[in-house]
Amino acid sequence: MVREIEFRDALREAMSDAMRDDKRVFLCGEEVAQYNGAYKVSRGMLEEFGPRRVIDTPISESGFAGMAIGAAMLGLRPIVEFMSWSFSLVAADPILNNAPKMLYMSGGQLGCPIVFRGNDGAGGQLGSTHSWCVESLYANVPGLKMIIPSNPYDAKGLLSSAIKDDNPVFCLESERMLALKGDVPEEAYDIPIGKAVVRRPGTDCTIVSFGRPVHFAMEAAETLAAEGIDCEVIDGRSIKPLDRETIAASVRKTNYCVVVDQSWSFSSVGSEVAAEVHRLCFDDLDNHVHRVHNDDVPAPYAWNLEQEMLPNTRKICEAVRACTYNA
Amino acid sequence: MPIEITMPRLSDTMERGTIIKWHVTEGDEVTAGDVLADVETDKATMEMQAYDDGVVTGILVSEGQPVDIGTVCATLADEDDDGEAPAPPPVEVAAEVVAPAASAPAASPAPAARRSGGRRITPVARRLAEQHDIDLDALTGSGPSGRITKKDVLAAAQAGDEMKAAVPPSATPPAEPAPTTLAPPSPVEAVPATPVTSGELALHADDRREPVSGMRQTIARRLVQSKQEIPHYQVSMAFDMDAITDLRTSLNEELAQVEVKLSMNDLLVRACALAMSRNPLMNASWDGDAIVLHGRVHIGVAVALPEERGGGLVVPVIRDADRKSLRQISAETRALATKARERGLSPEDMEGATFTISNLGMFGVEHFTAIINPPNSAILAVGATAQKPVVRDGELTVGWEMQATLSNDHRVVDGATAARWLGTLKSLIENPSTILV
Repeated sequence: MVREIEFRDALREAMSDAMRDDKRVFLCGEEVAQYNGAYKVSRGMLEEFGPRRVIDTPISESGFAGMAIGAAMLGLRPIVEFMSWSFSLVAADPILNNAPKMLYMSGGQLGCPIVFRGNDGAGGQLGSTHSWCVESLYANVPGLKMIIPSNPYDAKGLLSSAIKDDNPVFCLESERMLALKGDVPEEAYDIPIGKAVVRRPGTDCTIVSFGRPVHFAMEAAETLAAEGIDCEVIDGRSIKPLDRETIAASVRKTNYCVVVDQSWSFSSVGSEVAAEVHRLCFDDLDNHVHRVHNDDVPAPYAWNLEQEMLPNTRKICEAVRACTYNA
Repeated sequence: MPIEITMPRLSDTMERGTIIKWHVTEGDEVTAGDVLADVETDKATMEMQAYDDGVVTGILVSEGQPVDIGTVCATLADEDDDGEAPAPPPVEVAAEVVAPAASAPAASPAPAARRSGGRRITPVARRLAEQHDIDLDALTGSGPSGRITKKDVLAAAQAGDEMKAAVPPSATPPAEPAPTTLAPPSPVEAVPATPVTSGELALHADDRREPVSGMRQTIARRLVQSKQEIPHYQVSMAFDMDAITDLRTSLNEELAQVEVKLSMNDLLVRACALAMSRNPLMNASWDGDAIVLHGRVHIGVAVALPEERGGGLVVPVIRDADRKSLRQISAETRALATKARERGLSPEDMEGATFTISNLGMFGVEHFTAIINPPNSAILAVGATAQKPVVRDGELTVGWEMQATLSNDHRVVDGATAARWLGTLKSLIENPSTILV
């Protein structure tokens, strides 16, 4: 049965379903148990699964991430919640240097079926050090998968697939979307990792985005439709693997592509998409791929400046107009 | 400050120019007066010179790409810039001076596009142009820096479809040989004039599409215009060439000492000019609601260009040919033909003809008709002077004969006028001593 629930509840349903199905799955992180999660994602889980499977950790990302990786290597399937992906930076060694490489370095003897999840991107006036978008930084590393749901339905389905996956999966959520409501089936379901979806069909320009900026892309598409530019919006759903085929098929149709990526532009998910579109669709392009990113500055604290720094609807509209020679 | 080298206006009618060859590359030092490039206009190929000293920092227009007058084609860094630049390592100084000059006027893609060997065309535009068989050279790009985009190609494809629907293919005017003279034999003349509507022919495996030069486009445009607007008719006459052949032979024997050799064409230029001054109605142009009677006689002489310079046809003008001596006419014609073949004529060399002669005699052609060179109202198509069985004084004998055909604009010249003019020419040629004085 489908009901309307919040993004945070969809995440919890995916975790709870998996924990009911598979005794090896457990959740750990700061405040996930007794406090029901810093953002109430794990509300009620301690009650249902008990303190051996819903584990409060010290404020020590490097320690609990490393501990969970060890558990994964030895056969458990941990879910590690980072209150914010910004805090995962102190755990860079275990999550980047150990987890994604374990299967390779052990010659296939030790896998690392683990999910790291938490809030990614600007939360709203959290300041520069707490507003990280880690996708471009982390997606660079071989051996991991990365999902970035933009709505409650995808959150449940993608996280469910991630927990079942035998590889380390990084699940990027957004504090700004946790209260977002959407229709979600009560029963468990999986959304395949590495498959994008067309959110809005269109003929004149492809907008590719991931996570929260998909909503800005949809708003921009409405604004642009009023100007006669019919955009096709693609929600990547996963960053790694990247669904090149869906993106390329769309660009071959529209001949124009704008990528919207909430990370900084240099060496980013956006530049990767642009490079792949140029490679796969070279003869179909009528302009180079245009990119919309965070401005190349640390996130400002001031509300108005932060909004301006992020990839917003206005920037997307401008990029589409420029790309389609309508500027 | 970078110095911008813009496409100059090299003639009154010039709207665009094409750099057919750059003589400098980025990094070259140039001084004022150096030739930077050869520019092809609608009329001629001319040199683009530097007016300042400096270093070439950017070549912004590729060879073969037509651009509007005033378009920045290259940039020079003023030598003074270097002098004022700060002391540190010379490489960095150069980079600081050069970079803004090179990148500012022509947003980043310019050099890359140039290196790809042509105009700026987006990949999908190129692909669609192939699909629709659109001639990209005929398009004007609407994108930044004239980039040809999908929209431009689709618009051209649509326009092409409409044109196809409107004009049946048989409406293309039948090809006539382009008027020509004086040039060494070359097969160029055999090529029919390019149809005005391009990009419609289906290509077979052995075919090759050759983009046309500015000159060929001008020839095509002007001759189609002439053939469509001017009510042409032709009047032919045979000329007894015995006397003039003898005269030329004896004159050339005399002049050999001073290394002058008169061609039959020189004699014809002079004869036509004299015939004009005796029949001023022929020396005229149609001007809508009036006929302009030209007070002076300027004779255009069609010259075919050698194929290795791209072929084509130009018409240098011998001014006041009725007032010039044969030797003057001969020297001028020779100089202009040489200039046309080797360096290209300037617009002044080709302006103001009131009548044109096209001579295919040296190819053995006996008879042909020519298309009027507007705004002339007549053109004379001259065949070979050859030995023929002729009747002289009631006797069949062998004599030198030439056929010439006058094409006339019936709006200006009626048949009797044309016939009278040919009669005057015949009298001059057959009594050639009158040509000498």
